[in-house]
Amino acid sequence: MRISKGMIRSVWILPLLIFLMAMPILFHLTQTVFDPQVQNSKEVLCPPGTPGHPLGCDFLGRDNLSRLISGSYVSLGIGLMVGLFSTAFGTLWGVVSGSSGGVVDQMMMRILEVWFALPEILIATILLLVLGHGAMAVVVALTFGGWMGVARVVRGETLRIREQLYMEASRSIGTRPVRMILKHFIPNLLPVMGVLLLFRIPGGILGESTLSFLGLGIAPPHSSWGTLVNEGFKALPMTPWVLVWPALAIVVTLLSFQWIAERIGGSS
Amino acid sequence: MKRLRGRVLGAIFLLWAVFTLTFFLSRFAPGNPFSGDRKLPPEIMSNLLAYYHLDRPLWAQYLEGLKHAVRGDFGVSFKNPGLSVNDMIGRALPVSLTLGGVALLESLVLAVFLGLAISLSGKRVSSFLRFFSTSLVALPSFLLATLLIAVFSSYLGLLPPALWEGWKSLLLPSLSISLAPAGYLARVFATSLEETMGSPFYQAARGHGIARGFLLVRHLVAPSLNGLLSILGPLAASLLTGSFVVESIFAIPGLGRVFVLSVMNRDYPMIMGTTMVYTVLLALMTLLGDWLVEKIDPRIRAI
Repeated sequence: MRISKGMIRSVWILPLLIFLMAMPILFHLTQTVFDPQVQNSKEVLCPPGTPGHPLGCDFLGRDNLSRLISGSYVSLGIGLMVGLFSTAFGTLWGVVSGSSGGVVDQMMMRILEVWFALPEILIATILLLVLGHGAMAVVVALTFGGWMGVARVVRGETLRIREQLYMEASRSIGTRPVRMILKHFIPNLLPVMGVLLLFRIPGGILGESTLSFLGLGIAPPHSSWGTLVNEGFKALPMTPWVLVWPALAIVVTLLSFQWIAERIGGSS
Repeated sequence: MKRLRGRVLGAIFLLWAVFTLTFFLSRFAPGNPFSGDRKLPPEIMSNLLAYYHLDRPLWAQYLEGLKHAVRGDFGVSFKNPGLSVNDMIGRALPVSLTLGGVALLESLVLAVFLGLAISLSGKRVSSFLRFFSTSLVALPSFLLATLLIAVFSSYLGLLPPALWEGWKSLLLPSLSISLAPAGYLARVFATSLEETMGSPFYQAARGHGIARGFLLVRHLVAPSLNGLLSILGPLAASLLTGSFVVESIFAIPGLGRVFVLSVMNRDYPMIMGTTMVYTVLLALMTLLGDWLVEKIDPRIRAI
């Protein structure tokens, strides 16, 4: 395989992947070595570089590094799950709608329009009323808040695939719809699904941190990037570092995803 | 006209569907609005529930709610006794509309200038600006808001960090809502500008040696605007959602803050009222945006 210029340019994806994969291990360490929940009243809002607290402490004297790592684990995990689930659900909806056509398609599109009319955060907030707090509740709420864009794109792509010659051949020998979806539509949709997933993961991270920031998602004392930004915001004028770390984490992650998605989505 | 009627019917169906969905979702939520702060004696609890008709069967509550909602009456707030939902929305809506309108204007103006800069400047500057606008898209509005407050209020002390008093308190919140859409719009606008630049009529106009300013405005910007305007409806929607988060941060007494507070308080009538107002606004914005596109470019049949 020849190494192209594009591949060299794409190398910077690797640090992000390593970063993602290292999270659970670091999380495990924080649980055993430094506990992100341990409070120390002598070290309230200690500055970065304090022995034992490289990133300083928060308003309860908890270690910022530990809280950031366990928060990253929560935020990235939720983002990943939301991305996977909403892409899967949206794909299922789009492919069933697009491949059946007729009344079923019409009905499914109508329902999609109703969901689409409402902003993601609004849907998620109302769903959280029923689901309560906690990571799984946030995942479910954001999944059903953000699957609509995926469904729309997948349906369009399905309609395109349906007109291909090989699909006509398959129809003419009487392939059943379920087999058609599994053997023909899904494999042909995979590249599109990949790009959509890349857009949905940061969408999930953004949704989670927004909800948690507002106090509707992950509830304290558990940390996520959203709750950390919220706590940092409250401690602001005197001790900016409490805000800086989670803000940096969010910005770096979302920008990386945005650029990766742009590269891949733009070239395909 | 026929198409317009279809759109209106669709909007009515949408309103009904959102009402039904929100109603049943909020009723399936565990607990009731009065089980929050402190334990009430059972007699008082049952009286309270009876007073607000919460002891009736669910379908009766639903029909009653729907009947009142059709008339535009969402009842009385549970958490602020004596205040009707309509009063509270009436007070909050103008605030949100002002904020949203200013943000919309800001993002459009910014997008036009950024888009022009992207497509008219040299390769290096252009790709940097492209990169810059992509980065704007990825920035979450709540983070932007906190950072703006940190810099302009906490450290520089130039602008108020919260509340709603005069034009000064409009600047930071509207900026934090409008930057992300501006980045996205700038990309869209730059693409259509480049398309226009390659088109025969622009080349012809340039070949005729038309004055540069006139050429720019009349033959380049004007024909490229419809790409921007076609996403005006969804943009207005996204600005409303943006305001929903940003209002909570800046403690602006708008619709978004009212909504978040009522969700936290499980104030059913308030949740219903705000959600319905949001839906109406979104449906209106989308329709208005499509109408505008059709007015400007008759080739497009959007409605």
